[in-house]
Amino acid sequence: MATITFKINRFNPDDERRGHFMQKYQVEAKKGDTILDCLNRIKWKQDGSLTFRRSCRSGICGSCAMTIDGVNNLACEVQVMALKRDTITVEPLRGYTVIKDLVVSLDPLVKGMLKVKPYMITKTPPPTDQERLQSPEEREKLDGLYECILCGSCTSSCPSFWADKEYIGPHAFLKAYRFVADTRDEAPREHLEPLDDKHGLWRCHTIFNCVEACPKDLNPTKAISELKKALVNDKF
Amino acid sequence: MRVIKHYRIHLGTLAWILHRLSGLALIFYMLIHLWVIHHLIVGEKSFDGVMEFLSTPLFKFLEIGLIGVIMYHLFNGLRVILIDMGVMVEKQKMLFGFTVVVWLAAWLWVSTVMVMRFGGLPFI
Repeated sequence: MATITFKINRFNPDDERRGHFMQKYQVEAKKGDTILDCLNRIKWKQDGSLTFRRSCRSGICGSCAMTIDGVNNLACEVQVMALKRDTITVEPLRGYTVIKDLVVSLDPLVKGMLKVKPYMITKTPPPTDQERLQSPEEREKLDGLYECILCGSCTSSCPSFWADKEYIGPHAFLKAYRFVADTRDEAPREHLEPLDDKHGLWRCHTIFNCVEACPKDLNPTKAISELKKALVNDKF
Repeated sequence: MRVIKHYRIHLGTLAWILHRLSGLALIFYMLIHLWVIHHLIVGEKSFDGVMEFLSTPLFKFLEIGLIGVIMYHLFNGLRVILIDMGVMVEKQKMLFGFTVVVWLAAWLWVSTVMVMRFGGLPFI
């Protein structure tokens, strides 16, 4: 057991004059406790007004993404003791508009996602007696692409997104490449074309913050370089 | 609205910030360079004057720094091109390590040549 001080960046839309401020809470934490466990303890026992999103507490819903000690991660996947700190700073994901405390508006995330048509596009009718099949090798190409849980950590950590709120974002690039690489998708161009834009692929400056931030250890920058190759090969 | 103005700096961020700064420094250098060579059309005398000013040890020293900035921009630019071509994207930190080693080695080599041939450092 250890007493950990949580410094939490708070914001109440009903008290705009006060703006953002840091509030400290003391929490008793033991080995195995996650940041989310401690946030819950604060909310349930100390301060019911603390607001944050959470749902599955097992790293699959992506609701509890936040900036923990300056890095984006899922609160339910970071163990307090593993950070080896007495004071842990918790802030809302940066780059998005804060709605309240640790809750941000994920509208830019959804907007970028919709631009790349994040669904399989087919032109031919499916085989009558079976599903659209893939060989195990073809399926393997999607590893590292389909696991994204849309938590928004990558796009929030991206300096290109900080500078351009219309930027499609690494999460959407990863999703676009997931369908471009899918052998069953029959119109890769429809995913690629929206990326060929000043708010699209070319605004990536290979900073690799998205790779560092991804709680699922995916590699959006790799997807981006594959998409760049696909676009260039398509044009010339 | 937002207050968070910081995010932890990773290796990739560092490479990018240095690339931006070296790029800005090179633009600044280009302006000075244009100012220097514009003396060519002003006349022989003024060009000789400015060249004499630039032959002082301080500028020899700065030239070695300039070569370092150019070379960082050059080698990191090549790194970015490699990443865009999908080379070593998953090992980008190692690639940046290679970049830094090649950059420092090339810088050392060129500055040695500069010092030996043209007496670049004031104390040699």
